[in-house]
Amino acid sequence: MSFDAPNFDFLMSLGIFALVMLGFFVLVIGLSMLGSFMTYGTGGFGVVMQNFQRALIDFFSISPKRIGAIADLTIKESIRKKTLLVFVIFAILFMFAGWFIGGTTDRPDLQVRVLVSFVLKTISWLVLIVIPLLACWGLPTDIKIRSLHTVITKPVRRNEVYLGRLLGYSAVGTGVLAIMGLVGYIWIVRQTPTAAQKELISRVPVYGLMNFTDRFGREGTGINVGYEWDFRSYIEGGTKSKTIYLFDGLSSDSLKSNYSARKAKYDKALQANAESAPPEPGVLNLEYNFEAFRAYKGTLDKRLSARLILVNPDDEKVRVPLPVFEVKEFSRFNEEKLIAVPEEITYRDEESQQLKTANLFTDIMPKGNLKVEVECLDPGQYLGMARPDLFIRMPDKYFATSYFKSIFGIWLQLTLMIMLAVTASCFVKGPVATLLTFSLVLVGMTPLSTMMFQMLQGQIEGGGPAEAIYRMWAHMNPSVEIQAGAFSYFLKIIDGIALGFLAVAFFIVPGFVNFRMVEYTANGFDVPWMSSLLPAIAITLGYVIPCLVIGYCSLTLREMEAK
Amino acid sequence: MSQSTEPVIQIRNLSKIYRDFWGRKKVEAVKSLSLDVKPGEIFGLLGPNGSGKTTTMKMLLGLLFPSSGDIKVLGKPAHDVEKNERIGYLPEESYLYRFLNAEETLDFYGRLFKMSPQQRRQRRDELIEMVGIKHARKRQLKEYSKGMTRRIGLAQALINDPELVLLDEPTSGLDPLGTRDMKDLISRVREQGKTVVMCSHLLADVQDVCDRIAILYNGELKVLGDVSELLKEQEETELLTSKLSPEALKDVQAVLDKHKVKLHKAGQPSSSLEELFLRTVQTSKERPGRRIVQEDLKSGTGVS
Repeated sequence: MSFDAPNFDFLMSLGIFALVMLGFFVLVIGLSMLGSFMTYGTGGFGVVMQNFQRALIDFFSISPKRIGAIADLTIKESIRKKTLLVFVIFAILFMFAGWFIGGTTDRPDLQVRVLVSFVLKTISWLVLIVIPLLACWGLPTDIKIRSLHTVITKPVRRNEVYLGRLLGYSAVGTGVLAIMGLVGYIWIVRQTPTAAQKELISRVPVYGLMNFTDRFGREGTGINVGYEWDFRSYIEGGTKSKTIYLFDGLSSDSLKSNYSARKAKYDKALQANAESAPPEPGVLNLEYNFEAFRAYKGTLDKRLSARLILVNPDDEKVRVPLPVFEVKEFSRFNEEKLIAVPEEITYRDEESQQLKTANLFTDIMPKGNLKVEVECLDPGQYLGMARPDLFIRMPDKYFATSYFKSIFGIWLQLTLMIMLAVTASCFVKGPVATLLTFSLVLVGMTPLSTMMFQMLQGQIEGGGPAEAIYRMWAHMNPSVEIQAGAFSYFLKIIDGIALGFLAVAFFIVPGFVNFRMVEYTANGFDVPWMSSLLPAIAITLGYVIPCLVIGYCSLTLREMEAK
Repeated sequence: MSQSTEPVIQIRNLSKIYRDFWGRKKVEAVKSLSLDVKPGEIFGLLGPNGSGKTTTMKMLLGLLFPSSGDIKVLGKPAHDVEKNERIGYLPEESYLYRFLNAEETLDFYGRLFKMSPQQRRQRRDELIEMVGIKHARKRQLKEYSKGMTRRIGLAQALINDPELVLLDEPTSGLDPLGTRDMKDLISRVREQGKTVVMCSHLLADVQDVCDRIAILYNGELKVLGDVSELLKEQEETELLTSKLSPEALKDVQAVLDKHKVKLHKAGQPSSSLEELFLRTVQTSKERPGRRIVQEDLKSGTGVS
């Protein structure tokens, strides 16, 4: 998983949402008109308008008291139907999990990762299965045993039934999740060995843009060493080959934030035990995760050497080489991959070879921009890196921040699943609603959605379904072109229609991949707002109106007592 | 309470056709039904099973949509949710939430009418007292007998002090005592000036409480009118006296012969099985632990 997801473009997403909603309403009104015209003839228009007016009245006459009563009923129903037994499973898992996952590795970072992943994934699986299942079966059971019929003979609007159920299940899910989240947090903190406690952090990375130069110093793309190409590119040691990272939007205030407290903490740790003290914090902290590739064995007990050069990108005049460091590929602690830069840096000038002093904020990044060049110093060896492999580590946040953001992510996913489940249960029976809800989740969560996107983009060879069937029948390789002609044209038309439906399906299926926040927390990162939390919130909110409309129409237009 | 003489329910040319998935006609449950229900009366919808009375009632409530025709309930169309503010409905089976107890049930339905907590508490206590389930108010409905479920069902129908009460087979599944109580409750509801529409195929129950009836058969309205008028035997006269001696009976016969009136039946009237049952239960309550003999039943009091 990349921790360098692109920022969410809220305005563009809002635009697409508005377009989809417009299309949705045009479709609904068009189909209603058609159906009504076929049933009532020319009077159909009036019938649609009457129903539209009724719907508007229903939406503007919603009573929070009635919604509250139905939500309250749903909570009581969930509790009395023994839903809270989920806590028993949770408790059993956590009582014995320590036996199996404690001490599975010597590396503290991995130990923490295992614990955090276990807790968050267990909570996700329990909550995201039990509560949506309840929501899928609630209304259909209510309709089957006809208790809903008694309710709707009271002055209750159908959208109030929908919203009451939705809020009720959400409240149950929220309660269960809150308790599990809190217990899980305490469990993680207690289970983490003392040596690994310092890995319970949430790092806040700032990523830059990445470029390469080749061995002659010309602009390049990095070297493929035949080892790992898709993600990382390599630079050659002992040449002019470099990786250049460009950061912008930095401010002295944000970098210096909390610095004196961090320094005081460091001093205290140093006094207590100089050996186990963390590295001295800098004003600017750069963390790397480079990959070494050895073209020859060299000295086996010596790691590759590398160097960072800080450059003022505005005039390129100030170039500050930082001390050479060894690339610690398999370090046990994140701190060991940290390069701390003080505000005042003393360095040897590359040209004059004289000792100079530069101020980080006035000389190197006066406008908040920073260029960092990475060099590998061992000739004939290679250093691999990708964009997220070097980042500025802003002051860390508490582990709890990231942990509870992940819990919030699970809550958003839960809310969306409940919304889909309650909506589905308005027009189909329990088993079908379950199948529908979990199918949407599976498609939205797995690489299927990526495959759908690639198909729509034309990135997958072999065409659409019609062409694929033909190729299977004709034993034809996907890379072989089908001879142009009427038949291939016909296949393209069929595939075009199928891809049109696929495009609609792609926009309908919620992007559950955007709710993955567990990995950030497990790997010691803060969950970013712009690239993770905001899209998840936007997706959840985006489904509120369509789900409410579908749920309302399904309950209003169906005859409760139809035989 | 509405004092208007405007019909509480107006049904005009109402039809309901049940169709299958493909829109093909399965059955025409109600055919061109037209009738009015006046304010303050107890109106009975009668008919054998499948005659369309429950379908009609469900259309009144908006649970089913008419295929054609018009319905006005309290002056509003059947699909209008606001009319339900003034309606109480007891379904054929009491479709309630079985995990709630009586108090919670009434409180829940009270909340749907936006009643304040104080109003709900007061109304809940009144109704629990009225339907006689005070002893079981804290028990979940799943533990209730059929009779108790019907009682709490009636209580929920009255939670909003409705102007119009719709009762679907209110006495079905009740023992004679429960049936009697239910009929008494219906009469009390009428005494409060409310309009009651009930459908039933238990004719004795309808005869006891209804002012007017409509008899449906195969979805069509066959008879509509006042119960007393419809049941009146125009060609016969009924006399009920205290016990006559054989001599007195002979004298009566002579008088009748003089007026050329034919005596169809003379003798001691027997009470109905229902009355016997109710008297037995009453006597058992008053004198527990004793075998009941005929003398006890003769002297039994308190049975209405």
